[in-house]
Amino acid sequence: MSSNPSPEKKQWERVTDMLGDAGKTLGRHWSYNLRADPKRLGFVLSRYKFAAKMAGRERSVLELGCSEGIGVPILSEFAISYTGVDLDGPAIETAKKNWPHEKRRFIEDDFMGKSYGHFDSVISLDVIEHIYPEYESVFWETVAANLGEDGIVVIGTPNITAQAYASPASQKGHVNLFSAERLTTAMKTLFYNVFLFGMNDECMHTGFPAMAHYLLAVGCYRRQ
Amino acid sequence: MAPDQSQWDDVTEMMDGGPDVNLGKYIGYWFENTPRRALFSTSYYKFAAKMIGHGKRVLDAGCNEGLGTWILASECGSAKGIDQDGDAIQTARSNWNDPRVEFHEGDFLQLPPEQWDAVVSLDVIEHILQENVDQFWRRIVDNLSHDGIAIIGAPSLEGQIYASEVSKAGHVNLYTAERLEKEMRTYFTHVFLFGANDEIVHTGFPPMSHYLLVVGCKKRV
Repeated sequence: MSSNPSPEKKQWERVTDMLGDAGKTLGRHWSYNLRADPKRLGFVLSRYKFAAKMAGRERSVLELGCSEGIGVPILSEFAISYTGVDLDGPAIETAKKNWPHEKRRFIEDDFMGKSYGHFDSVISLDVIEHIYPEYESVFWETVAANLGEDGIVVIGTPNITAQAYASPASQKGHVNLFSAERLTTAMKTLFYNVFLFGMNDECMHTGFPAMAHYLLAVGCYRRQ
Repeated sequence: MAPDQSQWDDVTEMMDGGPDVNLGKYIGYWFENTPRRALFSTSYYKFAAKMIGHGKRVLDAGCNEGLGTWILASECGSAKGIDQDGDAIQTARSNWNDPRVEFHEGDFLQLPPEQWDAVVSLDVIEHILQENVDQFWRRIVDNLSHDGIAIIGAPSLEGQIYASEVSKAGHVNLYTAERLEKEMRTYFTHVFLFGANDEIVHTGFPPMSHYLLVVGCKKRV
């Protein structure tokens, strides 16, 4: 075996030299997710891509419940600013460590009832199903309190019809699951226009809502 | 008669109760020459219907033979289709005779405005001469209630090199996603852009989308 590196290796090193050092260590939640069910990463990133596309370019984005910030790169890519809030301290520390950028801000806080400004888009995925029904109205008030006049909201949550297939850990945390109808009704109390989408795995669609594994609702034109 | 035959007769009897549906000159051409086009069109109309929701009154501007208008009517509640093509409107009327749907032969730009919950216009704007485009958008806006939504669909400019001669012949105003979105934003506060490849509606890289669908709401007044 020759000790000289092959031309292919030299060529590949030219590629890797261009990559810089972007390596990072994921936190507890996403390390667990990737160990236990790695394909879920695709599903979650697809939800974030959809939210980012609905939000559009050059907008200020607030994410309520950002956890370790796995969605931050996608949500902030075309945004002018990104603010992520979560009450999980270690998760926020991971987000700050992994996704530093001057346009990104992370806040460790229980966002319920708080306002962090008036944003062009408020995004909250996999959060509302963890909020007890008696506090649900506070969640919607919080969404409204953080939204600019012409802001849009994207809410994502697992469909109640899929609950039978959820993992025990998921089931334990889901205290307020929505059907497409209830999610739409709730959003319509805040907005004149609500658009409902379904998702199965990473595929977004507008098919029969009861068979959608995941629900995404986009709201705009807020009621006064 | 074998028992399975009588059972099938029961099934077919359940299908009686309406006239047979005719494919006119336009949709007939699709089925003969570009049959997948019928699938794609149906998918775009279904997408529009889902964006609109239930219990709504919908105007379909440029309905042709009204297959899409019927999808909108049956999914959303009621719909009216308008088109300048008299033969197409006749086909539409003979096929979809139902209180939820009506058809009007005429020019959308001349139609007296009403307050619709939604205006859908698919494969129309690319046929509108540049000097009339502003009027087209204004007509859409004028035909919407304050919280009404507009859904406009058109083939993408980028997909045009693959279009058939007959398709290209009518296309005088083709859009990139960027131009369509930007133009719609001058008439609507909120605009959501979708792409479609074949029957799949998505939010992927716009320049590779074969077809464009934009949803606008909160009209500017």
